[in-house]
Amino acid sequence: MRTVIALGMAVLFAFPIWFMATSAFKAEAEIQAIPMHLIPWDFQGLAQFRLAAEIAPMWTYFLNSWLYALSHVGVTVFFGALAGFGFAKYRFPGRAVLFLAVLSTIMVPFQILVVPLFIEVKAFGWENSYPGLLIPGMMNAFGVFMMRQYAADLPDELLEAARVDGASEFRIFLQIALPLLLPALASLAIIVFIWSWGNFLWPLVIVQDKALNVLSVGLTTYTQPYLGQPMWGAAMAASTVATIPIAALFIFFQRYFVKGLTAAAVKG
Amino acid sequence: MTRRPGGVRFHYKWWGLIFVLPVVAFFATFNLFPTLFGLWLSFTDYDLLSPPIWVGLDNFVNLFADRLFRHALANTLVFVLGATVPVWVLSLLAALVFDQAFRGRDVLKAAFFLPVLPPVVVIAVVWRLLLHPNGVMTSLTGGWWGITEIRWLADAALAPFSMIAVHDWAIIPFFMMIWLAGLAAIPPEIREAAAIDGAGSVRTFWHVDLPQLRATAVLVAALSSINAFQTFALQYVLPTDPGGPANSTLVLGLLVFKYGFQYFRMGDAAAVSVVMFALIMAVTLVQLWFNRRA
Repeated sequence: MRTVIALGMAVLFAFPIWFMATSAFKAEAEIQAIPMHLIPWDFQGLAQFRLAAEIAPMWTYFLNSWLYALSHVGVTVFFGALAGFGFAKYRFPGRAVLFLAVLSTIMVPFQILVVPLFIEVKAFGWENSYPGLLIPGMMNAFGVFMMRQYAADLPDELLEAARVDGASEFRIFLQIALPLLLPALASLAIIVFIWSWGNFLWPLVIVQDKALNVLSVGLTTYTQPYLGQPMWGAAMAASTVATIPIAALFIFFQRYFVKGLTAAAVKG
Repeated sequence: MTRRPGGVRFHYKWWGLIFVLPVVAFFATFNLFPTLFGLWLSFTDYDLLSPPIWVGLDNFVNLFADRLFRHALANTLVFVLGATVPVWVLSLLAALVFDQAFRGRDVLKAAFFLPVLPPVVVIAVVWRLLLHPNGVMTSLTGGWWGITEIRWLADAALAPFSMIAVHDWAIIPFFMMIWLAGLAAIPPEIREAAAIDGAGSVRTFWHVDLPQLRATAVLVAALSSINAFQTFALQYVLPTDPGGPANSTLVLGLLVFKYGFQYFRMGDAAAVSVVMFALIMAVTLVQLWFNRRA
């Protein structure tokens, strides 16, 4: 009985994704067929993907999305761990105030920032450029917060022993703290990747050049008719391309994926 | 302690400050400064060309007479309502289904979870096609009664509800996961004790599970409403035109964008975002208050 209910729910929720992935391999006319075809009757191979790359520079968008997401992941993970370690394991003047200041940025939604941040970044001369696209969102306060909690659990004796052995503080971070934080860093990396990969508003306002656009913004091209024809096949192909990286993360790192998202929700 | 050349003691605690400095400098530049700058902007008129002019509270006063703002505020509140209460109930029901072992649970749960994976823009693009007036959703729903055309997105009376339905579809599996984490944290002894006392599954749920889920409920309520207040990409991509038709899906996030980047009225855009911030802060305060009581 439970299996039947669950099956109904799974079909209801999975079918739009199924529709997207299968329509990427259908001919344009078949996509709108009523009743809907569950699988392509007239299999198109990769033709719709090639068409999508012809209508707009899809692979450039795709690479930019990777650049955007990976730079955010790299910076947040490294500097988040460094700062989290610093806040957790050192007692320096101003520690509480600085931590509170960093933490308070979690509460500010991005829509509040977008207008002043745009004016600021424009004043830096970074409008419509990679620095303007990539730098302002590179750090995520949630990363600092999460890493501080995990770093606090590191045993002090271990750090003290290294200190007695004459290791520099930076080496203690790099060679003792960082390896122990690795599982938490993996969860953090996945969360930040998902957030950055789907980011829409900032890339939309800061970049005008097609060559600099990320895939989430580039996708909107495909909802418009091209040469007077609707291009739903190309739209579904590009949508599938935009979903594959996250789906791959889900398949290969399911444990970290669900753990990371839950941790982000509970603590963020 | 480490010794610097020259014998000056450099206490290792200062390394902590050095470790946090890059992050602090970053947030000062790209979060704290723009937040304060945005607050200041909301008291000015600024079009990016001539210098900002201080106008005091004028922008806020004008907002409440502004037809677009009133539309956006009402649309946002309707959207938040539709993106919260139904989501709480349905995601909890889904969690109760998947909480217990049955045949094929893992596969079905993974399939149910699929809408969480695509970025919002992908969801909007795919649903734009599914909600074509003569498209797949029309045939799956109206088809049974011989209806061949439903203007899901083109009808200003229907479009806001299409937004809510798509949003809820995408977000319910995520909140199911949160409920599942909450359910998993309930000590099994409590349920067993209830079962031994002869409580049925419905009574066990009301009297045992639900009180234990209080903290999870506060979390789900807060996250879903904060998330809904900030909605933007869905209303930008899914409707026939951003915020359309006839401004029926114009929400506050979209109005910030419209004023800021289409009309270049930076002061008005900042004022709208300050109102948004106040609404979200109010939700956060309610959450903190409930958390304290929980």
